[in-house]
Amino acid sequence: MSRWTLFSLVLLLGLGLGLLYGWVINPVSYQDTTLDSLRIDFKTDYTLMVAEVYHQTNDLDWAMNRLTLLRGKTPLNIIDEALKFAAQAEYTLPDMFLLRDLHNALKETD
Amino acid sequence: MDQDRGNWYLLTALILGLTLGLIYTWVISPVSQVDTHPSSLRVDYKDIYRSLISRAYQANNNLPRAKARLDLMDDDEPAMALAAQAQRFLAEGGDNEMAIILANLSADLQSAESAKNTPIPPTTGIDSTGTGPETTEDKEENNQETTSSPPREPVSTSTPVPTESPPFILQDSSPICDPTLGESLIQVVATNGAGDGIPGVEIQVSLGTEPKETFFTGLKPELGLGYADFSAEPGLTYQLEIPESGLIVSEIDIPACQNESEDSYWGSWEIYITHPN
Repeated sequence: MSRWTLFSLVLLLGLGLGLLYGWVINPVSYQDTTLDSLRIDFKTDYTLMVAEVYHQTNDLDWAMNRLTLLRGKTPLNIIDEALKFAAQAEYTLPDMFLLRDLHNALKETD
Repeated sequence: MDQDRGNWYLLTALILGLTLGLIYTWVISPVSQVDTHPSSLRVDYKDIYRSLISRAYQANNNLPRAKARLDLMDDDEPAMALAAQAQRFLAEGGDNEMAIILANLSADLQSAESAKNTPIPPTTGIDSTGTGPETTEDKEENNQETTSSPPREPVSTSTPVPTESPPFILQDSSPICDPTLGESLIQVVATNGAGDGIPGVEIQVSLGTEPKETFFTGLKPELGLGYADFSAEPGLTYQLEIPESGLIVSEIDIPACQNESEDSYWGSWEIYITHPN
């Protein structure tokens, strides 16, 4: 085996070890994340909190403002996703109603 | 290549490969930043999350749910974190309403914590767990829970109505000499008829014609739920007002004091207010 071939093989071995270490053994640890990166269950609970407050205050502007912090999607899309997850996770009916109330209110303004 | 160079080139290849691998995994294509936990949020987003938890608590009055949500933040002491946020909020000129909402949840958490030690008669027939949002991690740890299950207890959707309270009356207003305080403070303690501290009492302090500054009881729960203080400047005469009761305490002057070795220092002022019943 030529030295260049051996060199390349060991280089690939080192690369593989580097990938293993950087992705599996010691991946980048995220601190200082943003709301839009939250896992779907936490996003849904966040949306439910907004719905709870909206139910009391009827302040749709405030609710939209809070939902907009979950960037990347429109408030209506966010609440659509929350409703889907809430149904899958068998949220209680009162919670579903709160989410639907906010969904309907947002739909009217859409 | 020259065969006399030995095998060092292999070590070079390994180090080069490792370096390239690490650059790729840590810089170019790190593990995707999705599906994160609320505890990893940036400080300002954590504040938003806590504020939302407090507002939701104000709306549904469901303390177990609020507590479960706060537990997601991984704060050492959630009640203290809320109180600290309320103080920060006021210091940064935020609106008083939000500070009160945060302080109220902080105070209720503290009260619930102290009530834990009181025996409660068993209830029957009603599942009053009122748990908060469970996570998939919870499921992994405990298979009895469903994935990301929402709170199982229907939330209370009624609008909380402020409790009608009698106005505060002045119990005591006097200068104090306490060298351990370290600074001159106007200290206020608000209690009910039973002597329990009352959090969330708005206090306004003014200096002549200067604009009033507002502070609240309960933002330093470690000193008591009904406690509040204001850093005062010696040589000035302050006036303090409890707007909800129309109570005004005037002529508050920081006293000059002497310690045991006859060194002078500035004292403080303490004010006790209470509900008469």
